[in-house]
Amino acid sequence: MENQLHHYKCGIDRKAERDDVDPVTTQIIRNSLNSAAEQMKRALCRTAMSPVIYEVLDFAGAIYDNHMRLLAQAPSLPLFMGTLNFCIEEAVKGVGGEKNLNDGDIIIYNSPYGTGSHPQDAALVAPVFFENELIAYTAIKAHWLDIAGKEPYSTDTVDVFQEGTVYPGVKLFNKGELVDDIYKMCIANSRVPNSVAGDINAQAIGVKAGATALKRILSKYGIKKFRAAAESIFDAGEMIVKNYLKKIPNGEYSGSGQMDSNGVEPGNVPFDIKVIIEDEKVILDMSEAPPQQNGPINCPLPSTVSTARVAMSMLAGSNEAPNEGFFRPIEVITKTGTLFHPVSPAPVFLYGWPALQAMEVFYRALGSKFPEKVPASSGGCINAIVWWGIREKNGEPWADGAPHPVGQGASSFGDGATCLHHAESATRFAPAEVWENRNPWLVNRVELIKDSGGAGQYRGGLGVNLEFTMLEDSYATTVCERTQLPPWGLNGGKEGLANNCYVIEENEKITEKPKATRVHVKKGNRVLIQCGGGGGYGNPKERSSEKILDDLKQGYISKEYIKKFHPEVSIS
Amino acid sequence: MSSRIGVDIGGTFTDFIVYDELGDKVIIDKIPTTPESPEKAVIEVIKRNLNKEELEKVDFFLHGTTVGLNSLLERKGSKVGLLCTKGFRDILEIRRGDRDEMYNLFWQPAPPLVPRFLRLEIDERLYADGSINKKINTDEIKSASKKFIEEGVNSVAIAFINSYTNKDHELEASKILIESGFNGQISLSSMVSGEYREYERTTTTVIDAFVKARMSNYLNTLKQSLNDLGYKGSFLVTRSGSGSMTFDEAEDRPFETIMSGPVAGAEGAGELSRKLNNTNMVTADVGGTSFDTCLIIDGRPQIQFEGKIVGLPVQSPWVDVRSIGAGGGSIAYLDEGGLIRSGPQSSGALPGPACYDRGGKEPTTTDAAFYLGMLGEGKLASGLQLNKSLAEKALNSVGEKIKLSAFKTAKGILQISSANMADAIREITIEQGIDPRELKLLAFGGAGPLMSNLIAQELDIKEIIIPPYSGNFSAWGLLGADLLQMNAKTKILRLSEESIKDCNVILDELFEELQKRQKIDFDTSNQIKDIALDMRWMGQEHTITLKLDSEKDGKINLKAEEIKNLFMKEYQRTFGSKLDTIIEIVSTRASLRVPLPRKSETGNIKEENIEISKDKIQCFSFNKNEIIDFEIISRSNIDSNFTGPKIIVESTAITYVDVNYDVRKDANNNLILINKDMK
Repeated sequence: MENQLHHYKCGIDRKAERDDVDPVTTQIIRNSLNSAAEQMKRALCRTAMSPVIYEVLDFAGAIYDNHMRLLAQAPSLPLFMGTLNFCIEEAVKGVGGEKNLNDGDIIIYNSPYGTGSHPQDAALVAPVFFENELIAYTAIKAHWLDIAGKEPYSTDTVDVFQEGTVYPGVKLFNKGELVDDIYKMCIANSRVPNSVAGDINAQAIGVKAGATALKRILSKYGIKKFRAAAESIFDAGEMIVKNYLKKIPNGEYSGSGQMDSNGVEPGNVPFDIKVIIEDEKVILDMSEAPPQQNGPINCPLPSTVSTARVAMSMLAGSNEAPNEGFFRPIEVITKTGTLFHPVSPAPVFLYGWPALQAMEVFYRALGSKFPEKVPASSGGCINAIVWWGIREKNGEPWADGAPHPVGQGASSFGDGATCLHHAESATRFAPAEVWENRNPWLVNRVELIKDSGGAGQYRGGLGVNLEFTMLEDSYATTVCERTQLPPWGLNGGKEGLANNCYVIEENEKITEKPKATRVHVKKGNRVLIQCGGGGGYGNPKERSSEKILDDLKQGYISKEYIKKFHPEVSIS
Repeated sequence: MSSRIGVDIGGTFTDFIVYDELGDKVIIDKIPTTPESPEKAVIEVIKRNLNKEELEKVDFFLHGTTVGLNSLLERKGSKVGLLCTKGFRDILEIRRGDRDEMYNLFWQPAPPLVPRFLRLEIDERLYADGSINKKINTDEIKSASKKFIEEGVNSVAIAFINSYTNKDHELEASKILIESGFNGQISLSSMVSGEYREYERTTTTVIDAFVKARMSNYLNTLKQSLNDLGYKGSFLVTRSGSGSMTFDEAEDRPFETIMSGPVAGAEGAGELSRKLNNTNMVTADVGGTSFDTCLIIDGRPQIQFEGKIVGLPVQSPWVDVRSIGAGGGSIAYLDEGGLIRSGPQSSGALPGPACYDRGGKEPTTTDAAFYLGMLGEGKLASGLQLNKSLAEKALNSVGEKIKLSAFKTAKGILQISSANMADAIREITIEQGIDPRELKLLAFGGAGPLMSNLIAQELDIKEIIIPPYSGNFSAWGLLGADLLQMNAKTKILRLSEESIKDCNVILDELFEELQKRQKIDFDTSNQIKDIALDMRWMGQEHTITLKLDSEKDGKINLKAEEIKNLFMKEYQRTFGSKLDTIIEIVSTRASLRVPLPRKSETGNIKEENIEISKDKIQCFSFNKNEIIDFEIISRSNIDSNFTGPKIIVESTAITYVDVNYDVRKDANNNLILINKDMK
């Protein structure tokens, strides 16, 4: 197969000539759209069945216009949000195009090359009609606990067909009526059918809530004004990002990153990214990426694009939730058949991990020239574990999973924060007391790791150890990246502690299991997730001795750390 | 006899109200808040309105205070130490891993209330069912006690994992701490909350420990001073979770008062709704800096069981009041994308809106309203005359950049803020499965009646209610706050006849504990026991709180099948869908309500007459989209029905009545505005 260069413009341009809509109406419609998206999220969370949705918030919900341009989103998973336009596009194609859409339809779509995700991330898409015209879409992509892949969660798939059942854009609701045949298929293809049934219900409630709210806005303002306002909303968004880019001189900056392994073969998978700033435009050139891999670390185009969208929005978006306009100044260049633009049937189960790495490397590239604008590397991973088993007392299946936060990189603005998510920025992990009610384990500790933050004028945020003792036999799939490339410092700052994951047997034998599928964790054995710290910023010599001694007093750092990185500070 | 005083301390003003039942008389007053020692303003305002003789006749003093909240906001509280389960000293700092501002790459959480070196671990552990995994290590508590004493810690929070299900370890730790010489105050997480989630419960316990001393001092000082003035009645303070509690109980459980600010308004709304045959309504309380809204169903405000304040979770009942930063003083500006926004920045008391002529340069909602004529002549109760040219200048400073006239900018600011307010109302109602169109809008607060037409129209609400003393309605609401206590326990059970028995055992314990907490010096024989269950479909996390009709005995007297049907009906109503799997009970809730003696129902309350020098003004009609003459009238002079356009002036607020509204006064002196264009 020929590898071809592929240019993708991340934001769609104006579709209508400048129309007269006053800035006041525009702002009111903008706020109402955000409120509508918020209503989708609340409805979903309150009715969802799996903790991955309601607790971890592993989903995105958003509203798009009929050109599939992002109008508004609920605060949820940014990396998902950035792929939803692809999901809608493919879902509509799947049912034969716009002409086959009706009011009350809900399409289910989860084909990985169209969603950018693994099959577990299923999108529900609802076209919204008003006065018999297709005006918009509401969409939610959410992570289902299990969709009948070879395992509930895998790090070693060799093609996409091992990764779960695929719903290639079929109607789950037809003119408001549940399509029972499809629904039964969804339920049948899961190890936790009740959970999936509940989550489908919740997702449908969510997209319907969005559609209802949207129709209210349309009936108030009418289609013409609504569309004109949408154009203005996008233009305003575009201006925000352009204003930021204006301040960065034209140039080409590069950074490199690496994946520990592709999941099925030994050896690192390094990659380079070029960031080109060109007259208020930013181009992310990922075309030099290595060929698509035999293991599941390939990142389909929608998620590659999403990474670019999220990375830029977080940096240049004035702390606001982006809309389509924010994406207009962004372009992505990929090459087909590579890590960041794989073609079917390459396995993609761990697509999110290269996506997260790309985001860090994007900042790294900019930081090589403008260190004051970006943070040092964070722990660089979400250190996910998915667990499952059969309960001893009643034979019921259980499953749970969560990403875990890492220390954040320090920056010219100050020390890195402790334990946050980066691109998964709204996600949370469950309280130990909730976990222990649900799952057969005891949480031994959730504890900051001393000395894990990179030294510098500003210290990296600390990482965290999470340790569990299993009270019953169970299985786990672990995905911790960046165990071999520690979080880098910036502008003279030092490295932070890298991630890892260990299984500890009762005889204290320790085995590293950072990326492993279906690890049998026996009753009494422990699992330790080591979430890394952030890199430091600036020369450690510049850090005030007051801050260093306070870090010592609080137990954030040890005396040895001071001797090594701040030898000039005397410890009484 | 139930004469009572209400004093509500706000950020800018301390509101006073006294209701004398014998004379059926109301006095209201307002005095600047004295932040350094808030009791000063309280005493001052009482002294200047009541003499000793009058004060002696009052039965209840009801108080709304922000002392606890300010202590948190300013981070001025006790030096707190934390005792926690080994392995969990960092939960205050690790939180839940989420980024509050999700698109802010450099976001930082606020530092925890207890620094790490004062968070000490104890080797002990309970399982989720309350059984013991590891016995408590008493030696470690002794050395912790030593460390706390050395470091000058004067308040200790004890929060062990799974202690919501078994208090023994926390009680033991507390005992040993005292035995080994620690003589500060101690807060136990198991006493603070019987619900699970260690980050939330620990944080709440730490907040309790942090504010307790300051709160206790304050309440005692106030009590003493009022007694010195001759007051002999009961002392009550409002709770975040609605109702009130005695000062004595508040000293034990200060965290329950943290968010009581907007509660008084919600209470008043509840009382009003009950008077109007339990009319369902939603409130629009627009003050200087914020807009608060609350849903009143079946005569009561809706309650949630976890709240958030300054980024910290509080695991305690919480009146579901949603606030957005939109009030009379909210500043309008252009965002990065060139669109007008309003709030959350406020001009505050100083400099205040530009038209106050106290140095404010930026346009606020008040400037916009005044410029459009909605504030009538612009003469405030204090005698201040608003300045129109300053308002115009401020409006132009924003409008010119996007080529909008001062007039259009002003109109836009009001439209944007009222739409934001409507969005907040929409969220709070639709989430509960309630259509806002079926509700009445109760507008109060200094700028609520002003904005009420615009908000109601955004929501297609037909009827607006403006209560008497609408600008001081919150203080009025204080007066009706029943004494209320709540308690809950998490124990996850599958719904069955058997588990209902378990719940009844839990209820017995919960009520017993509540009785013990009661420190009441008035008649409680008419107390009411309310029960509720948090329920869900198995697998869900979020629950629906199902209120159950309780017999006098405070027990569940329903069959499992009946409860199932009630739950399914409620779920269907809220989410419009059905499921059919196992139903779980997550938490059992008990509350004890002691109604205060009812206030007189004659409600013959006189409105103050306002001098008006001009009988009409040129004002913008949003309905007609043009400037027309609005008649200005004093609320006290309203004796017959009429139709807009009118500007109704009272001492604490101004009501804007557009051309499409019919107005009448009801038997309770409420103004009822009906949109006559709506069916």
